[in-house]
Amino acid sequence: MKIRAFVLLGTVAAVCLLLLTLQMRGHIAGASDALALVTTPVQSVLARVNRGTVGLWSTYRDWKNVRAENRRLREESQELRVAALRVTETVEENRRLRRLLALKESMPLATLSGEIIAREWGGWVRSLTVNRGRADRVARLTAVIGPDGLIGRVVDVRPGASIVQVLTDPTSTVGAHAVRTRTQGIVEGEPRGTVRFKYMARDGSGIQVGDLVVTSGAGGLFPRGIPVGRVRAIDDRGSALFHYAQLVPAVDFARIDEVLLIVGEGTNDVAALFPSTSD
Amino acid sequence: MRTFVAVAIFGGGIAHATLGPALRIADVAPDIPLIMVVLLALRRGPEFGCGAGFVAGLLQDAASGGLLGVQALTKALIGFAIGAVGARLRVSQPLVQVPGLVLLTIAEGLARFSLLKLFRFPAPFGELMTYVVLPQALYNGFLGAALVLALAWAESTRARTS
Repeated sequence: MKIRAFVLLGTVAAVCLLLLTLQMRGHIAGASDALALVTTPVQSVLARVNRGTVGLWSTYRDWKNVRAENRRLREESQELRVAALRVTETVEENRRLRRLLALKESMPLATLSGEIIAREWGGWVRSLTVNRGRADRVARLTAVIGPDGLIGRVVDVRPGASIVQVLTDPTSTVGAHAVRTRTQGIVEGEPRGTVRFKYMARDGSGIQVGDLVVTSGAGGLFPRGIPVGRVRAIDDRGSALFHYAQLVPAVDFARIDEVLLIVGEGTNDVAALFPSTSD
Repeated sequence: MRTFVAVAIFGGGIAHATLGPALRIADVAPDIPLIMVVLLALRRGPEFGCGAGFVAGLLQDAASGGLLGVQALTKALIGFAIGAVGARLRVSQPLVQVPGLVLLTIAEGLARFSLLKLFRFPAPFGELMTYVVLPQALYNGFLGAALVLALAWAESTRARTS
């Protein structure tokens, strides 16, 4: 090895030791200052570059994280939405079935629960198909009710299903009376999907909007006291023998999914079993 | 090439204090100037290694605000020693590079500790070795090996294209 290398090493060592000694004795503060003149600007530039690079990198990482998180949250939100819909649907079904069960248990007549499997909603015919038929000993003209009131009657019985004519069917008629005034009449369906209370005797026309109309039990087809609807408007015909009233059906036929078929016979007044008759 | 060497020595010494923290893993930062001095000394011999170590160490001292001359001397010694014996070592093998740099870092740490002890440095030896020198030595070993491989790959690519 060249002697020059050792000389260099010796010189470097001597310079360093001299520097250290002088610093410890507090003599060469200027040397640090002189070196700082060179190092500080370079450090500033490097720090700026470093900050910029790190900032850019963290922005990119944040952006990536935000995107991934956004995607994950979107999926989670979708799943939760579907789950919430399922829960809502189940809760609603549960609530309906509970009401139906409560009515079935309190009913003093033999009943059979059924599920609606089809609906005919044209203007000519308004009917529901229930999954109970001849096999379940369902008879023609069986009254069909829901937790809110009267739905209609069975007009056709098939092996595994029955066709129920609903109140709004144009050919449907039900004997009824207004609860408050005891005014007798007949509830009849109309082609436009509404029902009216007709053949109301003039002397009993003191009924008002909001009055409840229930089945009269006349004819023995429907038990007495099942809610049919509430008076929406009164068609006052002056001195005419009979008056008419427009009714809002007690049951929302479009929304009902489960029904009770009254298979037993009886003439009991069941009005107390329906919450709408309590007022 | 000379520009690259100058930048490596000058930039490495100063960059350590500024960019070193960005490379920290579990509070351990590599000694980049030491790795550069070792690589340069292996290629250019003891004189260059000594000079490079002195400049890089002095700048590192100045940049870090420590006593001027401590790292200048230790790195000059390391550069000289590696430059002197490097020709006899098979440094192209990662199995040599990693432990080699680990040992060199420990040696540099010991030298620095001894030098500072001469000037009444108060830190206890055990803790300094356990928490500073040994973790840094390991980091230097792996980072240095990666750098050697990267340089070898860059050189072979350049040779192929030219």
